Amino acid sequence: MSQKKGKLVMAGLAVLSIGAMAVVSGAASPAKAYASAKPITLVFANDGLGTELSSTNVAVKEFEKLHPNIHIKVIVESANSTQAYQTLVTNLSSGSATPDVISADVTYPATFAASHWILPLNKYGFNLKTFYPGMVKSGEYRGKLYAIPWFINVEGLYYRTDLVKTPPKTFAQVLADAKRVLKSHPKMIGVAFEAQKYEGAVTVFQDIAGGFGGSFLNAKGKPVLNSAADIRALTWLNSLIKSKVSPASVTGWQEGNVQQAFTSGQAVFGFNWPYLYPLAEAKGTPTKGHTGFIAPPVSGSHSPVASLGGTDLVINKHTKYPKQAVMFVKFLTSKAIQTQRAVLAGDPPSRSDSYTPALYKQAPWFKQEKTVYKYATPRPVTPLYPQISAYIQTALSSVYSGQMSPKAALDQAQSEVVKLMGQTHGG
Amino acid sequence: MGVRPEVRIPGRAFRPRSGLSARRSYVGYGFIAPAVIVLAALTLFPLGYNVWLSVQQRILTLPFENHAVGLANYVALAQDTQFWHDLLRTLMFTGISVFVELVLGMVLALVMSKEFRARAMVRVSILIPWAIPTAVSAMLWAMFFDPRTGFVDFFLGRVGLPGSHLVWFNSAFFAWIPIILSDMWKNTPFMALLLMAGLQSIPKELYESARIDGAGSWQAFWRVTIPLMQPVILVALIFRTLSALLVFDTVFVMTGGGPGTATTVVAYYNWYQFFTALNYGYGAAISVVITAVAMLMAFLYVRATVRQGGLFR
Repeated sequence: MSQKKGKLVMAGLAVLSIGAMAVVSGAASPAKAYASAKPITLVFANDGLGTELSSTNVAVKEFEKLHPNIHIKVIVESANSTQAYQTLVTNLSSGSATPDVISADVTYPATFAASHWILPLNKYGFNLKTFYPGMVKSGEYRGKLYAIPWFINVEGLYYRTDLVKTPPKTFAQVLADAKRVLKSHPKMIGVAFEAQKYEGAVTVFQDIAGGFGGSFLNAKGKPVLNSAADIRALTWLNSLIKSKVSPASVTGWQEGNVQQAFTSGQAVFGFNWPYLYPLAEAKGTPTKGHTGFIAPPVSGSHSPVASLGGTDLVINKHTKYPKQAVMFVKFLTSKAIQTQRAVLAGDPPSRSDSYTPALYKQAPWFKQEKTVYKYATPRPVTPLYPQISAYIQTALSSVYSGQMSPKAALDQAQSEVVKLMGQTHGG
Repeated sequence: MGVRPEVRIPGRAFRPRSGLSARRSYVGYGFIAPAVIVLAALTLFPLGYNVWLSVQQRILTLPFENHAVGLANYVALAQDTQFWHDLLRTLMFTGISVFVELVLGMVLALVMSKEFRARAMVRVSILIPWAIPTAVSAMLWAMFFDPRTGFVDFFLGRVGLPGSHLVWFNSAFFAWIPIILSDMWKNTPFMALLLMAGLQSIPKELYESARIDGAGSWQAFWRVTIPLMQPVILVALIFRTLSALLVFDTVFVMTGGGPGTATTVVAYYNWYQFFTALNYGYGAAISVVITAVAMLMAFLYVRATVRQGGLFR
């Protein structure tokens, strides 16, 4: 982390009016004249390690150069999203003023907003026109804006272009392709997917349910977990395991296991997120030059559903420096910095204008990824989502382990979620 | 005032009293006061706060709807089948794991108290699992049982036993085996350590006279060792039972309570209500019930101990 020495004495904080903010906003223009008198430190809770962390540090250095009086202290959240969530909940529920700026999984803002832990951002003049609408929606709660999309993440289906010539569109085609390849390569894995009892199993289920025309909540926000489409979806996923197209060990798998199965050349298909693409195309990987990424399959005339992941930036309600925090968020989500992050860390920008020819030249796979973004579908945006997800996780796991039929498990999840939403708030 | 016994009787309170010692006892209270205050602050305050929280509606995502609800959380808990199933599973886990740990701990203690070469090294190495954080040992055991990379699978396949192609964590029954093994591996050394201390306090002369009376080593174990160790065994049981009742990390790391809810234990459900549902009132009610169950267990053990006349003589 860069320690700024010899900070300049600047005009008073009071001078920093909203008008001045408007000038600073959006572009990463030099803003020395508006910086505050006293040097301050913003604490930024950031998720991601490796190249993600180093690209954050590059952006932070640039920001500090533009705003010499604002020092950014980067703290790293746990790579395990459940643990990262615990830490944030502990910090925020205690009313701590730090971290000031937080990178939050798309499923957090609704809960944080309902708990009044994060700042509504409507009045700060964010221009989100070029941002993907699904991402923007994930940051809204009860009509107010609480989170600014930082990068998008969309789950899709990876496949081996050398083994499967035409990219499949339907469930039947995926199954037929997988079985055909398994016949000649019996040691391979037909479809690798996340089936452990955790959040990742839920996003795969949402992809499949969507392809059958199902969803978790209907347009009115009422749970429809035991709809015919959802039951068909879970039956399809379960049949992958039962018919050995997917090994039973997928019931212990997370993204990392699917990644390993795919990049080692063992899997014909794999459900995973964009981060896998550069890894599968890396030098010396058996899948180099043989990797395709498409939208999840569908049945009939339904449109594909690709679960939306991704990361938003939110601001702690108790921050001492809301204006500086807003400046920092605007900087990180600016067009140029998002492109920079895509190049350095492979994180897909959350705004379409960051996909420049220069980016495609460095990372051609973004072209193929972008075709899937239009099917991006957020998980239900409600503070009750963590609990809804837990019931779905239990249902999926009960079915994969043979304890319940898809219908019985989803009936139970439905009645639990109906009870849950009836007890407390509905949206 | 009841009649105080003039002499010590095992298991009964014995408090000789005179004016002088009564006055001295006030000084004594003064000396222990700081410790008592610190302990009270660290235990009674959170406990009291928890009880208070359990009669409130306190859901973090509904920050403006906090209010007292009386016993509503407890009424809901009484009807919460998930909780009762979890409690039953926890009690079964506690019973099995504590029993196995007691037997194995006793065997280890007996071995370690024999004279043999490198005894000190064996004693130290036996303690290693206990020094490893629970989450780490759970992670290790989960890896051992991984169907693709774990050695358990490989080993079972080699000796031709069933289970070599079992996905352990995808079975409502078999998922318990790695959990119990991991718990056992970590906690048996603790049991052994306590029991060894008890073993060493038994005078050698007793074994000698037992031998002279014609007792074999098996008889000596049941007639001399076990009766004399009863108080120590009970203390060890109290420690292990209470911590087994609160098992969380092993389950959290290994199965997340799955498959389905097959390995969900009360502490896991308690954590879920606090940190996923953000329902602090309900979570507090669960905590209070767990505390009550733990206290009941401790009470039963202590009463058994007092009956044996061993501990508080």
